[in-house]
Amino acid sequence: MRVLIVEDDLEAADAMVRGLSDAGHMCASAPDGEAGLAAAGAERFDVLIVDRMMPKLDGVGMVSRLRGNGDQTPVLFLSALGEITDRVSGLNAGGDDYLVKPYAFAELIARVEALARRRETGSVQTLLKVGDLEMDLLGRGVRRAGQEIDLQPREFQLLEFLMRNAGQSVTRTMLLEKVWEYHFDPQTNVIDVHISRLRAKIDKGFEHPMLQTVRGAGYRLEP
Amino acid sequence: MRAPRLLRTTPFRLTLLFLALFAAAACAFLAYIYLATAGEVTGRADAQVSREMHSLEAVYRRGGLTALNQAVIERSSGDRALLYLLMDNHGAPISGSIAKSPIGSLVGDQTWASFVLTQTDTDGAVMHRPARGLEEVMPGGERLFVGADVSESEAYVVKILRALWGAGALVILLGLAGGVLVSRNVSRNITSLTDVIAAARGGDLGARARIRGTGDEYDELAAGLNDMLERLERSIGGLRHAGDAIAHDLRSPLTRLRARLEVAMIEADAGRADPKAALHQAMEDADGVLRTFSAVLAIARLEAAGEAPDQVLFDPGALAGDMAELYMPLCEDKGLEFQAELTPGLRARGNSEFIAQALANILDNAVKYTPEGGAVMLRVRRRSSGDIELSVTDTGPGVEAAERRRVVERFVRLENSRNLPGAGLGLSLVAAVARSHRGHLELDEGPGIVGDTGPGLRVAIVLPRVG
Repeated sequence: MRVLIVEDDLEAADAMVRGLSDAGHMCASAPDGEAGLAAAGAERFDVLIVDRMMPKLDGVGMVSRLRGNGDQTPVLFLSALGEITDRVSGLNAGGDDYLVKPYAFAELIARVEALARRRETGSVQTLLKVGDLEMDLLGRGVRRAGQEIDLQPREFQLLEFLMRNAGQSVTRTMLLEKVWEYHFDPQTNVIDVHISRLRAKIDKGFEHPMLQTVRGAGYRLEP
Repeated sequence: MRAPRLLRTTPFRLTLLFLALFAAAACAFLAYIYLATAGEVTGRADAQVSREMHSLEAVYRRGGLTALNQAVIERSSGDRALLYLLMDNHGAPISGSIAKSPIGSLVGDQTWASFVLTQTDTDGAVMHRPARGLEEVMPGGERLFVGADVSESEAYVVKILRALWGAGALVILLGLAGGVLVSRNVSRNITSLTDVIAAARGGDLGARARIRGTGDEYDELAAGLNDMLERLERSIGGLRHAGDAIAHDLRSPLTRLRARLEVAMIEADAGRADPKAALHQAMEDADGVLRTFSAVLAIARLEAAGEAPDQVLFDPGALAGDMAELYMPLCEDKGLEFQAELTPGLRARGNSEFIAQALANILDNAVKYTPEGGAVMLRVRRRSSGDIELSVTDTGPGVEAAERRRVVERFVRLENSRNLPGAGLGLSLVAAVARSHRGHLELDEGPGIVGDTGPGLRVAIVLPRVG
């Protein structure tokens, strides 16, 4: 996928380009909001990574103008400002996700991939299917290889998010944000416990474990 | 050269200005008095001379020159202190008490004049006395002069004038003295304040202005200054302490990180080991440092803002319910009994994200410090005062009463917990969140000794009642 990195810290931009290239993505970068706007207009990108604080045109200004031009390319904001109010203003300006600096690379890549993927599966689905795992969003039922699996409401949401991002790494922070809607990092391994419970329900008795732990990143649901 | 200190003070300058205005007013007043008095004195002499002139004219009309001459001769030798001179049509003296008219030439029928009368008294001393007189032409062409010695009146005016000058000098002197006194008094008070400010600027925040207990505006100013210094000292002290604590909490992991990287480099150079494990460890160390840093920032921003942003009405029981759902599996996995006692339908005001984070920090601690077989209890209730209490009670080792106050300070981690993960900022952040909601944090003993652990810890966030 093609990613545009709009970041005035050239060293940070370079590191991002390398990290994303290693993960198999094509990258371009722009040093400020105006250059970013020009680059986004000239080519089609799958995701834009935009730093909030930049010279000339800042991130919020750039994304507002982008959305004003009718460009709906998913935007991931990067910011050193982590307060809720900062995040809300970033999302209101048209950002799709918000990542506070400093971040782990795995986190950045996971979020960029999730954004690109969300764009692909834009249509409303009522049935999710990953390998032999099926989720009926209307009937709230989950089956693996035809076998009914009984899930708690939160486990259902957790699995839904994992299935929508099947094959991709999702981080603990992403899960906490998207499933529990908390925007802070608990210091203990609260998410791991929920994952291991879910794993016990969907993988127990099956030869192929679907819910895998990705070292240093988080989890991935494999078909 | 600079003016002496006293002359540069504002009160003294104001006094001088006031004095100048006052002196101008006094001068105008004195001038008026002088003019009025002097006019009155000359007026009285003039009236006396006029009356005498009228009476002599009447004599002339009745008895002619002979009668007038007779009258002038009589009156000149009498006790009257007036001067007379009767002259013929050519100005030659006929009779009178002076030899020569002091008036050179007549203008019209009547001429007034002030002059100096030179007399030789019985001892032969020559005396010059101020006098005033009137000369008139009689119907027959003769000329009559009547004058008055005004030296007594002049002396009176001079006396008044002298008194006025004296009074003026006294006014200025008193004003100056008053000004000096006032400005010295004001200066002394101000100096005691500026001394304190200078000391504070020099770094001594312990300096305090003296309050004299008079309750005047200087006392008010001093009290305000002292209060400001008190707060400044406290917050600087807090910062200093925070700086030390941050240095401690960041330096150890950074030192560890550096050592790990160095060892990894040496090992990799020697081809002895794969540096990957060391790098992984180093990254975890860096994450720890960043977590500490974020917590420090979060606390600093909360404290700086004073009030948590985006506060809304929320249901604290429901919020705690979500947290219970998040933490219950963790407790169960660790072999802890988890209970939640949540009063439904309560209302509190706050930033629910911050409150949730605070509750998560408390639960993190409870899970971390409570040994297997213990219990964690989450409770939300309304106190009789209407305040909302969100509390977590555990059966861990608890915190010594003396340490509890310290625990909620920023960046304090108890010595016996240093080997457990965590930045030591957990409860400091919780306390900051509580303060930013006009609430507070309470630490108490838990349920007591159970088995070989205890007495446990009860941590409560207390939010003020709504409305």
